[in-house]
Amino acid sequence: MARLRNRADSLLSTWREAQRLADVADSLERVRATAGYDTIAVGGLRIIVNPSPLPLREAAERAWPAIDSLYGSAAGDLAQHPFVIRAVDPDTAVRRTVLHVGIELPWDLDVRATATALLTTVTAPHLDPALADWLGAALRPTLRPRDEPAAVFVQLVTAPSEAVRGCFLGDIARCKDVLQVSDSTGLLGRWYVTPAEREALVTESFTDYFARGATAPSFQRCRQHRDDACTALLQSLPPGSLPRPLAQSARLLLVREALRAGGRDAYRRLVARPNAPIAARLSSAAQMDIDSLVVRWRNGVLTARPVPLTLPWWAGVAAIGWTAFFGFCALRSSRWRL
Amino acid sequence: MTAMFRVVLYTQWKWSRLIVVLGTVAAFAIPLLSLQGAARADRGALQAQELLRSVQSWGTLYPLLATALGVLMAITAWAADHRGRHIHALTLPLERWRYVLLRFGAGFVLLAAPIAAVLIGSSLAVLTATLPPGLQAYPIALTARFAFAVLVAYAVFFAVSAGTARTAGIILGVIAAVILVQVVAGIANIDLNLFGAAHTVLLLGPGPLAVFTGRWMLVDV
Repeated sequence: MARLRNRADSLLSTWREAQRLADVADSLERVRATAGYDTIAVGGLRIIVNPSPLPLREAAERAWPAIDSLYGSAAGDLAQHPFVIRAVDPDTAVRRTVLHVGIELPWDLDVRATATALLTTVTAPHLDPALADWLGAALRPTLRPRDEPAAVFVQLVTAPSEAVRGCFLGDIARCKDVLQVSDSTGLLGRWYVTPAEREALVTESFTDYFARGATAPSFQRCRQHRDDACTALLQSLPPGSLPRPLAQSARLLLVREALRAGGRDAYRRLVARPNAPIAARLSSAAQMDIDSLVVRWRNGVLTARPVPLTLPWWAGVAAIGWTAFFGFCALRSSRWRL
Repeated sequence: MTAMFRVVLYTQWKWSRLIVVLGTVAAFAIPLLSLQGAARADRGALQAQELLRSVQSWGTLYPLLATALGVLMAITAWAADHRGRHIHALTLPLERWRYVLLRFGAGFVLLAAPIAAVLIGSSLAVLTATLPPGLQAYPIALTARFAFAVLVAYAVFFAVSAGTARTAGIILGVIAAVILVQVVAGIANIDLNLFGAAHTVLLLGPGPLAVFTGRWMLVDV
């Protein structure tokens, strides 16, 4: 035991030393990469970039309102984490030095594409690992604000989970379960309510994982509709590896809703207490209880139902017009076959 | 004129009844088959996605059926005239355009049967199915789309069939020229995308074949 402890301590000190060396290398690389660069400041954005025709200032002016409206008062803190951008020749045949800091953008990008690059690479300020893990995706301004809730609507309707269906039908407790903002005990039973769902999860998502070795007999029993075997297999999964019934876009939308409801300081409140439960943090950010926030989220999703598959009126007119046109061509055909 | 139309309709029915009957049966069956299993009482949340997948897979058959019906009906409408080298039409005390209009109209009347079959089949399929909450059925929109696709396909091929061999040759020549120019441009490394332009003109916006594109879903969110 003592020998193992010594070995672990030795590994820890080696890891710390490696970490220090990596920090030094990173710092040196940053100095090397930004030597001779200009700094562009727009709002809280600081962009360190080499001289080039890339329209970064215009792009930053276009991106800043979206960033500011998401992070609110915390957006000003982005100045502490400047973008490092290297505008490169769009000709890929041109040789260039390899840098490990920042991002590379071809200098012939237009304002729109450059603004998109900024919006898709901005790092959320003060985002702690707990919130990042729960979200499962980076919290950034959305490029298509209407598509995100519509995609969540489709998930609510089509996700193979009774819990999600219950949420769609208005059961807020189910919504909290599938969004993972209620307590985390007994998640398996609350996410995958019916034996059929648990069996489908084991036999479709974890076939390779369970079909060999010591779990193979249980896997076979699960395939024979034995729910106890399916449940035992799913409970044996490492923590955090049970697939969530709703994709990350649903949780992202919940955070956006909380930030929208909570005003300019909402984001600051969201990241203020990294050790608090997610529900409490969201509630604090939105300045309302979590149930009201989830109701608001659900209402937002339901109103974002995708456009029905009706044929637009002009498509019908166009089809009739083309039919008439080709019919007229036929009427004009000659009777003589010479 | 009504009597003439009745005669033309009858003759066209005789020539194309097999196509019309088979097309009608297929048009009736596809919606029913696409929702097979949707009426099962034990269907849970697991099946919503499967149902949509099945509906989407079967949905690819509607534009194919519409095209097939349009092509076959147009060819059949002119087959006898082509065989008789259009002499019969010359013997009739009727202007050419009236004769063509009668044939065109008769084809439309016969094509009403498969269109009605899609409406009846999809309505019946929807009535007998238990759809999961959140999913909606679109039998009328689907039938409207099918009707427009059939009419456009029929009109296009009817116009081509009504024309002379020279007209058909010109159309084929234009298509061949576009392909040739595109190939030559590709070899010469010239930035010319005729296929892309043709795709935009024909399939997007108000293009003649736009009605064939998109998702042909009887059931969707």
